[in-house]
Amino acid sequence: METPVPLEDHVFSIDINVPRRRVWDAILKTGAIQRFMMNTVLESTLEPGARMLYYSPNRKYVFVVGEVLEVIPERKFSHTYMFTTQSEAPSIVTWEFEDIPAGCRVTLTHSGWTTQVKTHKDVGGGWRMILDALKSELETGKIPLKMRLTYGLMGATAFMLPRSARAEGMEK
Amino acid sequence: MIEELQQDDLEPVWRALSNPIRRRMLDFLREGPRTTGDLTDRFPDHSRFAVMQHLGVLEEGGLIVVRRRGRERFNFLNPVPIQQIYDRWVSKYQQPWAAGLTALKTDLESRTRDATEAADRDPDQSTTQT
Repeated sequence: METPVPLEDHVFSIDINVPRRRVWDAILKTGAIQRFMMNTVLESTLEPGARMLYYSPNRKYVFVVGEVLEVIPERKFSHTYMFTTQSEAPSIVTWEFEDIPAGCRVTLTHSGWTTQVKTHKDVGGGWRMILDALKSELETGKIPLKMRLTYGLMGATAFMLPRSARAEGMEK
Repeated sequence: MIEELQQDDLEPVWRALSNPIRRRMLDFLREGPRTTGDLTDRFPDHSRFAVMQHLGVLEEGGLIVVRRRGRERFNFLNPVPIQQIYDRWVSKYQQPWAAGLTALKTDLESRTRDATEAADRDPDQSTTQT
């Protein structure tokens, strides 16, 4: 008997050749552009229960809203996750960090799916690219050309986003 | 220098992908996480021991992530190394495309600037244009 279930967890993992602390700092950086995270700006106090917003660089749009669930420094960071462009229930993103001889292994689990079919289908490619970009940025200081182009295009087409993604009135 | 480093990083991935059964196992895991028992059922021509060994190689290559849920061991496909191979190898041969995209990006950005300026003047109109 097989045990497939629709809307299973997504798991992504990558080894990064820098100390764990640097990977942690990159993912929890607030108030400045996170290049690897599709050029978004995270705003949050990062305390459990606090709201999180991932803004466009010009702060006119918010792509993702969430709530901090758990913060164990340099070990685990977990939060809810909801696209502003889709009216689906929040899911859960968990980052885990562990030491490996070469540096740090970071594993991202996107779980808590119930009926968020569209989001479930959409996030895979994004996370793959984000983790790959994270590794490049931390190890070489650069984001690969192809990703820069993709991210650039996404930024350039932001004006097509629905009204629900507008930042105005969201900062409450 | 950096490229050499990345190539070394990807060595276990190539090794894991070099075997047809392991590639079929990955295809199977694309449908969703599976227990080791599911995999041995799916590949009855291979002993449980052989399946476990293949899983070990896949795990070493970072192509699967193992999670335990109760007594069961679930194998999740990790697509990130394949993305890395894609970025490392395929994108290289897409330079003409990249050039084309750069032009498109420049074009779109200049349009966006116009659109943003328009939006600043009249916020309601910007959401209806495409």
